[in-house]
Amino acid sequence: MGEAILKLSNLRKIYITGNLRTAKKALEEIQKLSVTYEKLANKGGDSKILKEYEKQLNDAHKLFYDEKYEECYTSLTQKGISRGPRNTGVVIHALNGINLEIEQGEMVAIIGPSGSGKTTLLSMLGLHDTPTTGQIYLRGKKISSIKPGKLPDIRSKEIGFVFQSFDLIPTMTALENVILPLEYSKAPAKERSALAEEALELVGMSNRLYHTPNQLSGGQKQRVAIARAIVNKPAIIFGDELTGELDVKTTKEIMQLVTKLNKQGQTFVIVTHNPEVAKYCQRTIMIVDGKVARTL
Amino acid sequence: MEIIINMWRRKMRTLLTIFGIAIGVLALVVMGSMAEKLNLQAEEGVKYYQNKIQVSSDTSSMLPAPLKISTGDEITKIKGVEYVSPVISTPLEKKSSGFSLGYEASITAIDQNADKHGNSYLKIYTGRRLTNDDSGKAIVGYDLVKKLNADLGRDIDIRGKKFEVIGIWEKTFSTTDTSVSVSLKDGQSIIYDDLPSIIKSNINPADISTGFVVYPTSGTNPDKLASIIQETIPGTVALGPKQFQDQVMSSVNTVNSIIYGVAVVSLFVGSLSIINTMTMSVSERTKEIGVKKAIGAKTGTILREYMLEASVIGLMGGVVGVVIGSIVSSILNSIMEATGDKLFLVTPRLVILSLAFSVILGTIAGIIPAIHATRISIVKALRGA
Repeated sequence: MGEAILKLSNLRKIYITGNLRTAKKALEEIQKLSVTYEKLANKGGDSKILKEYEKQLNDAHKLFYDEKYEECYTSLTQKGISRGPRNTGVVIHALNGINLEIEQGEMVAIIGPSGSGKTTLLSMLGLHDTPTTGQIYLRGKKISSIKPGKLPDIRSKEIGFVFQSFDLIPTMTALENVILPLEYSKAPAKERSALAEEALELVGMSNRLYHTPNQLSGGQKQRVAIARAIVNKPAIIFGDELTGELDVKTTKEIMQLVTKLNKQGQTFVIVTHNPEVAKYCQRTIMIVDGKVARTL
Repeated sequence: MEIIINMWRRKMRTLLTIFGIAIGVLALVVMGSMAEKLNLQAEEGVKYYQNKIQVSSDTSSMLPAPLKISTGDEITKIKGVEYVSPVISTPLEKKSSGFSLGYEASITAIDQNADKHGNSYLKIYTGRRLTNDDSGKAIVGYDLVKKLNADLGRDIDIRGKKFEVIGIWEKTFSTTDTSVSVSLKDGQSIIYDDLPSIIKSNINPADISTGFVVYPTSGTNPDKLASIIQETIPGTVALGPKQFQDQVMSSVNTVNSIIYGVAVVSLFVGSLSIINTMTMSVSERTKEIGVKKAIGAKTGTILREYMLEASVIGLMGGVVGVVIGSIVSSILNSIMEATGDKLFLVTPRLVILSLAFSVILGTIAGIIPAIHATRISIVKALRGA
């Protein structure tokens, strides 16, 4: 095993549903305070002031997560509250303070029951969504608070994604589908075709370059999707139930392929509810109610 | 290529959208070709009169009096006038239809000596020019050949009289295309024959003129000279090149605004179908957009993709519209050729303008759906929400 390639620090994601204006306002205040605190800390500000900020933030967090939004908001702003309908909304703690590290070359399974927060976690890791609080570091670089305009670059160059339902572009051939991330990452135009063919060869699809998705079986589609994920040689590949729509035999074939790629040094994080798939991984992390319940 | 395939996913919807735009462009081409013809006729008319002054009877006065040849002699005496030619201009048909979308077919006659003073602007396509001594001879405008069944040496019927065709004017896109030129004497005689007998007895045909064309000496400002003529000779209206141009272009611009306005409105309505199609397309491809963004597509890439698709629909509608519009204009022209009224002229300028306009409108129509596409949340798109 090598160095930590992915690190999650106290990752939280909450969803507020319903008409809960005070909760939203309180959350906004917490986020503002966090930003100010971080700026001060980075500048090496007065430790007394920093401690005061820390205290305020901790108190606010505590009140917020105890669902005392009004008190939280009042204590942070010292202002009157515009009173909206109370207790008509719900805060869902999709992720509740997750800390974990994935090492270079690891193959990790994330398992958990439905609604445990697996897919939400994967959305944060794949930079499809932003965490409410906490940080994500990829190769030591903090990517969770990166500017939205720079996210596509990281998505195309550093991250590979394999979806449950393959999600190939139906109007494109296998080769064109694999070329797509190369276009997005601005790989040299002359090399794109060769790189895509190489990736398709690696997943055993060199004889199906010009087939469109509707001419391929489920297993073949997932192989093309894996080729699309590896073509830019990303730091890490995330698989979201990548065998969810495949039969037992094809699941085995796909997991053997993923294992082969992992042995060549590719890091994988696979979300699954299938224990058989998790068995292929070196480590299994179980998520329950948005928290890491245990690591196997 | 992907754009074409995407459009072809919903053939009927794409075809209907293209058809919607095509109808708008068709209207633009057909109506625009009418405006183009009018514009060209006006431009040619302005070009023809660029160094000349047109003098006619002041019809706005309380007692409008017909002009006489002797008026020409009075004009000649004015300083700066080199030559004055009497002009006869009267409708070709004795009973004018009273309504024509283009210029009404006419009989014109001018002093042939005016040729020496710069009247050689008009060119003969076949045959020869008229002389002042010709009688019973005519030169036929290009667009009237079919209507009058004219050919060199063949007789044609003008107001019940036989005239031998001695020439055909080259196509000018001006009023000459729809006029028959005769000698001044014959022109005067045609006007004279139509007068009531009570007036005939008091008028000498050789004294009749419906107007004058005045040729200024070199170095004379024709517009200033026109004002002097009008002031000096009572009961006349004199139009210099600039006034003539202003008058003609003002009417042409009004007609253009109406024609293009109607066409643009219909094209705008067509473009609404692009917005509809693209919005539906974005909605159907939400997951695809989510996947593309998830694997690194930038906002600009998605925006470009959808706007390009809308532009291609606009372009295809434009091409179909231009082709059908050109065919329709050509059919209408051939139907109207028999009456000498060729109203439509599809110019390269009109074709380029129509195509550019349909592409621009398509692109604009694609903006809202394209922006909507860029705002799709990856998470929601992947979950199919």
